[in-house]
Amino acid sequence: MTIDITLTVNGTARTVRVEPRRLLADVLRHDFALSGVHVGCAHGACGCCTVHVDGTPRLACLTFAVQCDGKAIHTVESLGGVDATHPLQQAFSIEHGLQCGYCTPGFLMTLAPFVDAMVAERRVPEDAEIREAMSGNICRCTGYHGIVAAVRRAVTEQIETGSAQP
Amino acid sequence: MRPSSFRYHKAESVDHALELLARFGEDGRPLAGGQSLVPMMNLRLAAPEHLVDIGGLPLTDIAFTDTAMRVGALVRHRQYLAEPRVAHHFPALHEAVTWIGHPTIRENGTTGGSLSHADPTAELALAAMLYDAVMIVRNTAGERRIAAADFFEDAYVTALQPGEMLVAAEFPLPPVGAAGAFVEFAERRGDFAIAAIGVSITVADGRIATAAIACSGAEPRPIRAPEIEMMLSGRPLTDPQSRAAGRRLAAAIDPVGTFLTTADYRKALIGELTARAIDTACARAASR
Amino acid sequence: MTSADRRHQIGGADRPRHIGARVRRVEDRRLLSGAARYLDDIRQPGMLHLGFVRAQAAHARITDIDTSALADLGAEIRVFTGQDTSGLTIKAPAGHDPKSAALPDGHQGYWRMQDSEQPLLADGVVRFVGEPIAAVLAEDAYVAEDAAERIAVAYEALPVVATMAQAQDPSIPPIFAGWTSNVYIERQMAGGDLAAARAAAAHVIRRTYYNQRQAGVPMEGRGVVAAYDPADRVLTVWSSTQIPHLVRTYLAEELGFPESRLRVVAPEVGGGFGVKGQVFVEEVLVAWLALKTGRPVKWVEDRREHLVASIHARDHLHTLTAYVAADGRLLGLEADITVDVGAYSTFPFTAGGDPGMAAKVLPGPYDIPAYAATFRALATNKCPLGTYRGVARPSAVFSQERLMDDIAAEIGMDPIELRLRNVVRTFPYKNALGFSYDEGSYAQALERVRDLVAEDRAAARASRASATTRIGVGVACFIEQSSHGTPDFTRRRVPIETGYIAARVTMEPDGEVTVDIGLQNHGQGHETVMAQVAADALGVAPENVHVRQGDTLTTPYSVGTWGSRGGPLGGGAVHEAALKIAAKLKAIAAHLLQTDASRIALHGGRAVVIGNEGSYVEIRRLARIALRNVDQMPAGMEPGLEAQCSLDGPADGTYSNAVHAAVVEIDIATGKLRLRRFVVVEDCGTILNPLIVDGQVRGGVVQGIGSALLEHFIYDEDGQPLTTSFADYLMPLAPEIPNIEVHHIETPTPRTPLGAKGLGEGGAIGPPAAIANAVADALGVPVSATPLNANTLWTLAADIRAAAETDRDG
Ligand SMILES: Cc1cc2nc3c(=O)[nH]c(=O)nc-3n(C[C@H](O)[C@H](O)[C@H](O)COP(=O)(O)OP(=O)(O)OC[C@H]3O[C@@H](n4cnc5c(N)ncnc54)[C@H](O)[C@@H]3O)c2cc1C
Ligand code: FES
Ligand code: FES
Repeated sequence: MTIDITLTVNGTARTVRVEPRRLLADVLRHDFALSGVHVGCAHGACGCCTVHVDGTPRLACLTFAVQCDGKAIHTVESLGGVDATHPLQQAFSIEHGLQCGYCTPGFLMTLAPFVDAMVAERRVPEDAEIREAMSGNICRCTGYHGIVAAVRRAVTEQIETGSAQP
Repeated sequence: MRPSSFRYHKAESVDHALELLARFGEDGRPLAGGQSLVPMMNLRLAAPEHLVDIGGLPLTDIAFTDTAMRVGALVRHRQYLAEPRVAHHFPALHEAVTWIGHPTIRENGTTGGSLSHADPTAELALAAMLYDAVMIVRNTAGERRIAAADFFEDAYVTALQPGEMLVAAEFPLPPVGAAGAFVEFAERRGDFAIAAIGVSITVADGRIATAAIACSGAEPRPIRAPEIEMMLSGRPLTDPQSRAAGRRLAAAIDPVGTFLTTADYRKALIGELTARAIDTACARAASR
Repeated sequence: MTSADRRHQIGGADRPRHIGARVRRVEDRRLLSGAARYLDDIRQPGMLHLGFVRAQAAHARITDIDTSALADLGAEIRVFTGQDTSGLTIKAPAGHDPKSAALPDGHQGYWRMQDSEQPLLADGVVRFVGEPIAAVLAEDAYVAEDAAERIAVAYEALPVVATMAQAQDPSIPPIFAGWTSNVYIERQMAGGDLAAARAAAAHVIRRTYYNQRQAGVPMEGRGVVAAYDPADRVLTVWSSTQIPHLVRTYLAEELGFPESRLRVVAPEVGGGFGVKGQVFVEEVLVAWLALKTGRPVKWVEDRREHLVASIHARDHLHTLTAYVAADGRLLGLEADITVDVGAYSTFPFTAGGDPGMAAKVLPGPYDIPAYAATFRALATNKCPLGTYRGVARPSAVFSQERLMDDIAAEIGMDPIELRLRNVVRTFPYKNALGFSYDEGSYAQALERVRDLVAEDRAAARASRASATTRIGVGVACFIEQSSHGTPDFTRRRVPIETGYIAARVTMEPDGEVTVDIGLQNHGQGHETVMAQVAADALGVAPENVHVRQGDTLTTPYSVGTWGSRGGPLGGGAVHEAALKIAAKLKAIAAHLLQTDASRIALHGGRAVVIGNEGSYVEIRRLARIALRNVDQMPAGMEPGLEAQCSLDGPADGTYSNAVHAAVVEIDIATGKLRLRRFVVVEDCGTILNPLIVDGQVRGGVVQGIGSALLEHFIYDEDGQPLTTSFADYLMPLAPEIPNIEVHHIETPTPRTPLGAKGLGEGGAIGPPAAIANAVADALGVPVSATPLNANTLWTLAADIRAAAETDRDG
């Protein structure tokens, strides 16, 4: 049995025919050719597959694509384009918040809304708060240090450039 | 690690969901946030034939009446943290929710899913026991109200029957001035607990008037500790003799060890957490 | 020589501009944007998906494989079993012929090893849970899993060897036919006069230490795709591996396929940590299936498969005896080392790799005149042991450094003082086994750490009065041998055989540079570092250097990335190859500028006359001349700008050193441990890129923290694995981890071209020892095993609780 569903992925709506059991992660990777969606565990425990469904972070390995019919999905590809220009992406690079990069899209998609929220509150979070915000994501390479620094940098820089504006 | 085939049905309304669940009986299952069901399906520990997607149903409110808080089955864990009245009336519940998984899990996991899944150390199940919540359960024939104490039967087993769905949980409002605390112990932040204790007390004249204590990690479901609750009532907030209460609870329980934790450790841990939760609740009440 | 001096020497008169700089990584952009292509992104037309039926019994004879339930699946499924693949195996033949020349004394030769062969698919008997029994091919990965689930295997149980004791119990039969016991190998190594040490010792201290079995768990699991192209008769195998050339050689030999027509590609690799540094049955099988079926075949490991059936690590039991003089000087050390290496010997480091390494490195940074070790590798019905970050050294350092603290406690000396009294201070130093250490900063690193944690040690002492919270400080001082050269492997007689790394540097006609290197990047930032190195040698910017790796089609033959060798040997090879091109560029420039080549320096994209910056030629013009306008070259010079260097490591390698310090706080009632601080002082010689060095150290430390506190792969008494998902196999998450403080000392080694020593693994080596020492300090009890989870710490704190009870009651 297959079902036709329409997903608006990174701004473009497309209808695809899928088996109900197909995980959103697989559909994004295969039908939408989005290599930035990574699967690290397929049981909800590593955060590698985090995407946004209607603006909210969600694990694409714990979601059936059919559940997302009619919804808007964003993946890491939409964050800062091929040049990775999003302030959080830039901060990751400066602070060495990534090594093999496998966990990176998941961290970015988990943390981008957190960074936005902090910037909106004009508040630089404590390290413990940053670490709690990323507690559902496993990075085996970096020891988290660079990622924490990247979040701090992304928030600080955006608050500063924001305050420079009239 | 990919699920077996199933048929997918999107419920358009609660009645539609109930119809579908009635039709499929044993072979059907609601799909809410998917945060517990889908991992099990991916690991092929569960292979339901029909999934009824209730994720879009409008059971997403936390509503207050004069006497109770009614939490819709599809309230996401995060919503508790955004609603100030939860922390006000049910401090232990509020604190418990901060311990559920990780931010993304809290964005997507639902109250109905957590209570129905009935993990032995689920924070919401413990809070439901602590605050004497009532489960509002429906099928096509009508509604049943099941006390939390009767709802959780065993690890991952509840009083829900095939065709039934949890639509809400009702938490009676504690008297004004009730204080509470929730303490949990897990190896890592966000893991399911090894043990957790919730305490809720009412206060009169600087003393504990009534106390409720709920505990997970002792049995395959959350339990209450009526003898300890009795022991506590009448004790001064400044000296609740929490250590004795903890020791007494530890002595009364008989947890089983796992390959990660021994039974002795769990016992001791529960005793300690009990004392700490009581102390915290009393300190909070006293500081008002 | 200081590292600054050393750097001045690099490239002759040219001042390095990029080596040593905190250069942002060039690989980041594609990783951050999602554009990077990992193994699962490889797709081939007509590709079949492979699923496995894996053993559910630890040791059993297979009596039946029932595929009848596949009929009603409604999909075309092909099933292969051990009968189809019989004869194809992973073999790791090792050891000296006992009749051949005597072993060099003190070295790690594996003498009379009992070899095991792991069939691609079980050959009638399964020896660990997770071993592949049948392979199913389907058009879709979901269907392949459905099919694998429907195949029913019947077993007849065989006696399970589930523990070290059982493996050494002569009444339990060996798990391999023709074996005389369940011991792969047992051997001694020794040097110095132990009898004299024994006779002179004022204290004899004997302790036993254990490190648990664990898994490596890169966030991307393994995976293989293979496709045969009948047009040019080339078999291409993509694998998430650290060792593409070794995989190619293994496939060629095992499948009888010409190596010239085999191409192995490691695409983007999502972490490896050594786990992906072996050749696996799945790699050979996928290649074989592609040839057999004529269709491309893909297998992507799932997390359960990874946890139960890739490779495991550690599972070391050491008993050490120290002979100590009255003043704390170590006179001699004896070690008995047993490692449970599981069901099969792995290629290319074999079952002897872990215990042999532990025996070899145990003298560590200390000047110990006499040393003797016995080491053995045991076969059990568990997942095979392979290489994981640190390889045996985390366990060796755990034992050695716990022993130092136990000695300090016994003789009543400050543990850092005891170490300072014993560390090697004059270099080069030859240890009791004959290994020669290059320059290091052992004492200096200890002194630095002593200063850094002085306040914490005071806080720890102050906490002794507390019945509820104790603070402890522990240090681990160690060296890490890396950059081993071929002689080191020849001595061991293991199938790795050699240790060189090759790089080819090509300058293109437009002056852009291509570096092809036989390493395989999986997070180490090779593309950035190699570009820095090439850029300095050639006087161009790192942006002008394109580094390629992982593809045997384009890269020169090498042994891949493992053993902390990328920087010292890979970087060295790039440097040497680039210098050859630089020499040619200088010669052409000298010819054009009518001067002597020795008066030319390359920098800023120009070949400049030294002392006369205004007189120069653009390097890109030189490149064009060398490749296109060859008539303008000096007479007789060969056209082209391509050079290769194969750099072997020094015979005894290089020795990095570090001191780790952990400051822990333990909740006595619950056993909860909080890491208040983790401090590293490390010396890896010349720092090529501080950003990357810090990242490697910190990442390693956190893996080491996982080893110390959380990660435990558990089997029950029937050999059934219990920790088969991330719900049970617990790795460090961000909230439990502090910021890791890293401090550097730079002592360049004369043994590699750039003065760099190995660094990739060191971070993971120290934490189990440092944390265990901190726990011992906090609780005032000896700590002999890891992981130190809350339950274990609670047990260790029993005496403190009891004392507090007595106080209260009494
Ligand atoms: C990594 C990770 C960590 C987690 N950590 C925690 C934790 O620490 N504490 C904790 O409590 N939980 C934890 N969870 C589980 C999480 O809280 C889940 O959200 C919750 O248990 C189930 O909610 P759900 O909406 O996702 O339910 P689903 O997964 O959709 O459903 C769970 C079960 O309940 C049934 N069901 C769902 N809704 C209803 C209904 N309304 N009526 C009847 N039956 C229903 C389903 O059929 C299914 O059997 C964790 C999950 C993950 C992946
Ligand atoms: S892959 Fe989805 S959480 Fe790990
Ligand atoms: S960068 Fe490799 S897992 Fe995070």
